[in-house]
Amino acid sequence: MGTSSADVSTPARVATTTARPRAEARWRRPLPWAAGALVVLACLGLQTQLYTGQERTVTTIFMFVALAQAWNIIGGFTGYASFGQVVFFGLGGYTTAVVMYHWQWNFWLALVVSGLLAAAFGALIGLPLLRLKGHYFAIATLGVAEGMREVVTNLPDLTGGGAGISIPTVGPGAPTAYLGNDGFYILFLLLAALAVLSAGLVSRSKFGLALRAINQDEAAAGSMGINTTLAKVAAFTLSGFLVGLVGASYAFQQVTIFPERLFDVDITVLMVVMVVIGGSGTVLGPLLGAVALQYLSEYLRQHYTNLHTFILGAIIIVAVILLPQGVVNYAREAARTRDFSLLRNVRRYRL
Amino acid sequence: MTAFVQATLYGLLQGGLLALVAVGFSMVWGVMNVINVAQGAFVVLGAYIAFALNSTLGLDPLLGMFVAAAVLFLFGYAVQRGLINLVINAPIYLTLLLTFGLDLMLVQGMNIAFTADFRSIPTSWAGKSLALGDIRIPLGRLIAFGVAVAVTLLLVAMVTRTRTGLSIMATGMDRGAARLMGIRARHVYALTFGLAAALAGLAGAMVGTVGTFNPAAAAGYTLLSFVIAVLGGLGNMYGALVGGLVIGLVEAWAGQYLPGTWVNAFAFLVLILVLLFRPSGLVGRPFYASRVEV
Amino acid sequence: MSEGGAAPETPVLDVRGLGRRFGGLQALADVSFTVPRGRTLGIIGPNGAGKSTFINLVTGHIRPTSGRVLIDGRDMTGARPWSVARAGVARTFQIVKPFRGMTVRENVAVGILYGPEGTGIMSHALTAADEVLEQVGLGALADRPPGELTVADARRLELAKALALRPRLLLLDEVMAGLRHREIEPSLALISSLKKQGMTIIAVEHVMKAILAISDEVLVLHRGRVLTSGEPDAVLSDPRVIEAYLGHRYVKRQRAVSRDA
Repeated sequence: MGTSSADVSTPARVATTTARPRAEARWRRPLPWAAGALVVLACLGLQTQLYTGQERTVTTIFMFVALAQAWNIIGGFTGYASFGQVVFFGLGGYTTAVVMYHWQWNFWLALVVSGLLAAAFGALIGLPLLRLKGHYFAIATLGVAEGMREVVTNLPDLTGGGAGISIPTVGPGAPTAYLGNDGFYILFLLLAALAVLSAGLVSRSKFGLALRAINQDEAAAGSMGINTTLAKVAAFTLSGFLVGLVGASYAFQQVTIFPERLFDVDITVLMVVMVVIGGSGTVLGPLLGAVALQYLSEYLRQHYTNLHTFILGAIIIVAVILLPQGVVNYAREAARTRDFSLLRNVRRYRL
Repeated sequence: MTAFVQATLYGLLQGGLLALVAVGFSMVWGVMNVINVAQGAFVVLGAYIAFALNSTLGLDPLLGMFVAAAVLFLFGYAVQRGLINLVINAPIYLTLLLTFGLDLMLVQGMNIAFTADFRSIPTSWAGKSLALGDIRIPLGRLIAFGVAVAVTLLLVAMVTRTRTGLSIMATGMDRGAARLMGIRARHVYALTFGLAAALAGLAGAMVGTVGTFNPAAAAGYTLLSFVIAVLGGLGNMYGALVGGLVIGLVEAWAGQYLPGTWVNAFAFLVLILVLLFRPSGLVGRPFYASRVEV
Repeated sequence: MSEGGAAPETPVLDVRGLGRRFGGLQALADVSFTVPRGRTLGIIGPNGAGKSTFINLVTGHIRPTSGRVLIDGRDMTGARPWSVARAGVARTFQIVKPFRGMTVRENVAVGILYGPEGTGIMSHALTAADEVLEQVGLGALADRPPGELTVADARRLELAKALALRPRLLLLDEVMAGLRHREIEPSLALISSLKKQGMTIIAVEHVMKAILAISDEVLVLHRGRVLTSGEPDAVLSDPRVIEAYLGHRYVKRQRAVSRDA
């Protein structure tokens, strides 16, 4: 694609048509929103067809869809791979549990407050931590999550400590009636929809462009007028807010919660794996990744109880090697270049 | 006063061993920018190998540890050459995920092979202790400490004086330039990872003699390796020694003077503060770009 | 180009005693000069002289350890890069790393969205981006992913991204590096047209032909300090400059080439 020797004063002419008139693409723009609405309606309809056990599985899938989308905002779009996102999950869950247990707050109020508290925490620690890069940022966020777990364990008067805390759900002490399987199905479906919607809005907005620019070349992004500190913290805070909401709902669903579960590093890792396998930086990717991985995990857990983690580990390794950019990105690029070779993937990143 | 000296001594002995647990992790991170989440699993695997040799052949772990090191070296070399080398140029969280998958497989594999029961390696010498006035020095810990420090110093010598060691450091500093000078980067990386795994296995064998272990202990050792590597400065082997000793002391003193459960939270706080204010570690040199990627 | 700017006599860039230490290394020391509106300053010097450090200090990527930076009379010492960008200073980067995962057009649109004019509307920004791309001659490649561009085109994209900020001051960091001779001509033409529009430019360069062609004034950095500055011809014949950097035969050759051009 070099310049021809004769024609030096004009830029290289690529054998392609000039830019597509943008009007042509306009009808396609509302398509994803319409598709999303259809999917939500379909899920509502699906609910009537499922047994209790299946309903719970699908509810968990919704939960991970929300978590994966939330991680994608800071890890996928912005490129700051947080390995401590579960801290917001735990904070959200424990805030809800604490206010409902000690002060009999209504769940819905607790939900909002939990989300906001998680967001505030995100803004607070985001400011110093987002100055770190790459591995250092990952480790620091991991340290925060682990540390918070220890803090929660060591405040038994407030949080019940290692013995756990139970949200009152029956009797006069119960501020909100337990939602039951059906109720939680809808709640988590709405949370998933909210997360996907947020990711979609971010992706197409000026904000999303800034995040992508920061991901690619933070110095250049800054030089182009993007307040990188503000953008990064905003992404981190938004992600924390969503995860906090999910954590709060999870706590209510589980009724009794423990620090090891609510701050479990495996939850973060699952978030990351789902986004990576699905396709980081896209909206569809984490959605597919969450559904596929959670479904796979359930299937393995039921049929190969002993080997379930072992096989999961193997799948993660294979997926990372063959499809490092994730299914969605791979599919898009393969469709564009008509090159479907997986080996090309491996060659791109190998030593 | 005695309690303080005892705690300090204990902390130092434990710290030396922890340094050995972490030094390979630090080297791999510093040289190749790879975070090996399965480091703890390597340690526990080393312990199990020494344990198995001891229970079937009656082999003393001081000999068994060499076998463990050899087995883990081969395993580590294969893993790096066959798996990690394939994603080395990808965004960092991909290598993290890969080693995480490896960790899942190893821990579950050990659970299946050895069950989750706690084990330890019985020896004739580990239970004895020397007495220095009022202070008791557990012999097992002392020997483990000696092995750890000796091996770390050997490692430093090897890395700075042998051709292989220098090629590891060179590849770590500037992979492109090293290759242009004839160094086979794929092999050197695999060598580095294998070496780190061997060190972890050695540490595991020692860990097995001074305490109990089971597959679930792997996560704790990985976390400790993180903290020590960061404290000491990535890729800095003296730093790992210093970091290990510091952590050992902090844990011993905190165990004495803080309510037990706050120790871990305190350790994480230290980790975060170090990352924020002195990311090159306590011993590392600031402003010095330790690695150039090509 | 004087909307919101200072009085015409105020230099666009005023650098006073600027310096930066890294631990034991004094990368830049005691650098002082001004760049009046509409002039082009060429900065030359051997590698390690502090040229990149200088640009990074002005654009806010590094904080100075001493001295001050005034842009249009406003003290912007130690300001963050985005504040500097919004004050009307744009730069190109020596190692060109366009934003992948976006089209060429979107790359430029970032600057329009976040620059001093800061329009919030994507479609307006995309249209404006097209205009900037036309200006640098990349109009036909607007929809391509930047990974498909040649080196010369990628440099043009860098320039387009900088121009998207509608800057008052343009900092060019070795834009001619690695270009073949016949690729340099169009780049020089582009810069000349910018000069005609009244742009104030600082160009860090190793390619003497380019420096001679565009600079009104040349400044030489050596070991972090200003060795000399002044008329291009005078500076290039200065024996200290020749000794530190250029070499006698090279200067003769470059003079001959630029005379023939």
